[in-house]
Amino acid sequence: MNSLTNRFSTTGPLSELKRAQALVENEEFSDSAWGSEAGFGSLAKGVPNFTVPSVPDPSAFLRLHTDDHADPNCRIKIQHGTTTLAFRFQGGVIVAVDSRATAGSYVASGTVKKVIEINPYLLGTMAGGAADCQYWETYLGIHCRLHELRNHERISVSAASKYLSNLVYSYKGMGLSMGTMICGWDKTGPAVFYVDSDGTRLKGDLFSVGSGSTFAYGVLDQGYRWDLTDEEAQELGRRSIYCCRTPRCLLWLTLEDGWKFIGNYDISKLHYDGPGETPGAGYGYDVRIERSTAAPVAVQA
Amino acid sequence: METSFAITGKGYVLVASDTTAARSIVKMKTDEDKIKVISPHLLMAYSGEPGDTIQFAEYVERNLRLFHIRNNYALRPSAAASWIRRSLAQSLRSRKPYSVNLMLGGFDVTTDTPHLYWVDYLGTMTEVPFGAHGYGAYFGLSLLDRYHNPEATLEEGIETLKRCINEVSKRLVVSPEKYKVKVVDKDGTREIEL
Amino acid sequence: MSRRYDSRTTIFSPEGRLYQIEYAMEAISHAGTVLGVLAKDGVVLAAEKKVTGKLLDLSGAKEGGYGGSGEKIFLLNSNVIGGVAGLTADANSLINFARSAAQQHLLQYNEDIPVELLAQRLCDMKQGYTQYGGLRPFGVSLLYAGYDSHYQFQLYHSDPSGNYSGWKATCIGANNGTAQSLLKQEYKDDIEVKAAISLVLKTMSKTMDSTTLGSEKLEFAVITLDPETKLPKAKIYRPDEIDKLLEAEGLAKKEDDNAMRT
Repeated sequence: MNSLTNRFSTTGPLSELKRAQALVENEEFSDSAWGSEAGFGSLAKGVPNFTVPSVPDPSAFLRLHTDDHADPNCRIKIQHGTTTLAFRFQGGVIVAVDSRATAGSYVASGTVKKVIEINPYLLGTMAGGAADCQYWETYLGIHCRLHELRNHERISVSAASKYLSNLVYSYKGMGLSMGTMICGWDKTGPAVFYVDSDGTRLKGDLFSVGSGSTFAYGVLDQGYRWDLTDEEAQELGRRSIYCCRTPRCLLWLTLEDGWKFIGNYDISKLHYDGPGETPGAGYGYDVRIERSTAAPVAVQA
Repeated sequence: METSFAITGKGYVLVASDTTAARSIVKMKTDEDKIKVISPHLLMAYSGEPGDTIQFAEYVERNLRLFHIRNNYALRPSAAASWIRRSLAQSLRSRKPYSVNLMLGGFDVTTDTPHLYWVDYLGTMTEVPFGAHGYGAYFGLSLLDRYHNPEATLEEGIETLKRCINEVSKRLVVSPEKYKVKVVDKDGTREIEL
Repeated sequence: MSRRYDSRTTIFSPEGRLYQIEYAMEAISHAGTVLGVLAKDGVVLAAEKKVTGKLLDLSGAKEGGYGGSGEKIFLLNSNVIGGVAGLTADANSLINFARSAAQQHLLQYNEDIPVELLAQRLCDMKQGYTQYGGLRPFGVSLLYAGYDSHYQFQLYHSDPSGNYSGWKATCIGANNGTAQSLLKQEYKDDIEVKAAISLVLKTMSKTMDSTTLGSEKLEFAVITLDPETKLPKAKIYRPDEIDKLLEAEGLAKKEDDNAMRT
């Protein structure tokens, strides 16, 4: 986004636009690494700053050329990056991720899941290098199974995450890029561990990874409580992903007897109608404001 | 920003470290314990490159434990510190050095004296009456130079430590909100609530 | 047939014994006696020299160096002295190893090597020769007298098999049985260095073949704490100091013996 807007800062908008569009197309190859830098995208390079395009109304200009909701064929697709989150609560672990179903070189088949089902009890999220996450978390799955066969019991989430962190640490400095949460349920109850390619491994209640993580934290931190009901927790997961402006949101819930897939939500539907079937109950700011200004009238009537 | 302090007093060493685990601009965790008890009378506060810190701390922990099991006594603080310094210096000249800064606070049971060692990632080691790492050092060291007393009781030591922490909170732009404090004396190590 | 189980060190006999190791120990029991006594405030070591004679050049022991003739008692580190019984050439190699191990410890931990650790280092090496093929075990037993801050004064013994043990008073080499029973009778738990020196010399004089003691047959060393620095101070006596000591203890040679020697 930063480099993109930079290109509009010189004069001759039309020719610049053409050049920029060509560049954007080239850049799509880098989508295999969602945001990269262990999933923190541009954040890792410091605080973002913007150069404003030299057009009369920059935001209108950008909206016109970048809104792929209104026009799927628009040439500039904003790199929203990745958002993944997981949190522990009374009823288990909620894992929610965005799905850039139309992103880059991947097609809208939904095969790109940013959650890797390591085994029926463990989930791993994916941010940073997709291939790195996919490969090493699958590899982790193999070793979790071997652990089961050797020790006649399931591997703990702590041990599985430690295995992964030791593994990626041995490749430190060699270009791995992963930011992942290992989630599951073991003898200690629900557990979430954050592991990244630096070799960091943190135990915690609530994590979010990816360039959209700051936005997700904004919603997540405010709404988080340990005694959330299952329904509230799922809603919190959806809303936190929604805020990162992604086309779809995928939700998992980890329970004592293994994880279960909750759903695949269309963000534009969440925007207008919310997860249920009530029109106008959406998460969108405009939808919400409309609702709150309309509501008092309804009460009066 | 990562900060750790340590001060000696009459028969004890106090070691304090912030509890933030940060990635870029995000605090991933605010209750991370970054002070390891590496032998019955030895504390190690570590900071530096993420990943390296934990890996190095665990490497040290395991090796000192192994020594303890093999010989039925733990290394004295000075011997442990020398070994740790040597490990860092060897690592510095390897293909992938550990970038870890340490404060080692220990109590030597053979001489009944507290010892504090300041160690950085280059393998510099020096025994100090007080020390600090990170941005907090810019504020804390001058303060400790003025207020530190090697003969202070534990209560007085804690007060001096609080001065450091408050000063950092007051002046540092992005100051840590929480600290973990541990003490080592003749009775071993324990955590202290500020 | 008996050759079948004792020609190699690494083969057990049907009774489960390693003959070569036992022969090595046997060799030691003919060697010059080395005797050690642990006291409250120090450790005393004495040894019987076998290589003697008028023509032997002992100028090295008389001046220069750290004392001792280099046959039986050696300084292993500033806090440990070692006494050896057995093949002197083998012992030299072990002493070299011990000194290196002590320096290695100093390099790594910036402290003097604890006495037991030094004994362990040597025993690890000695044990290796009871297991790996084609090699002869060291025909040496050692006494280690030393000080460290963990266990204060200590006295250890190690044998060719790689076993080691701590002692209040012990003896290796010729007549070690007699010496040990004497020590058992005379030793008191709260003995001090001064008394320990007397005990060592008295026991030596009774166990050694020659009827009288003299510096040409005896090596002697004491490790104590320096009262000022509180650091261990190892002292290996020079020939004239030994004679003076023997005289003070009333164990010196009779005048006519001295006359004969000169």
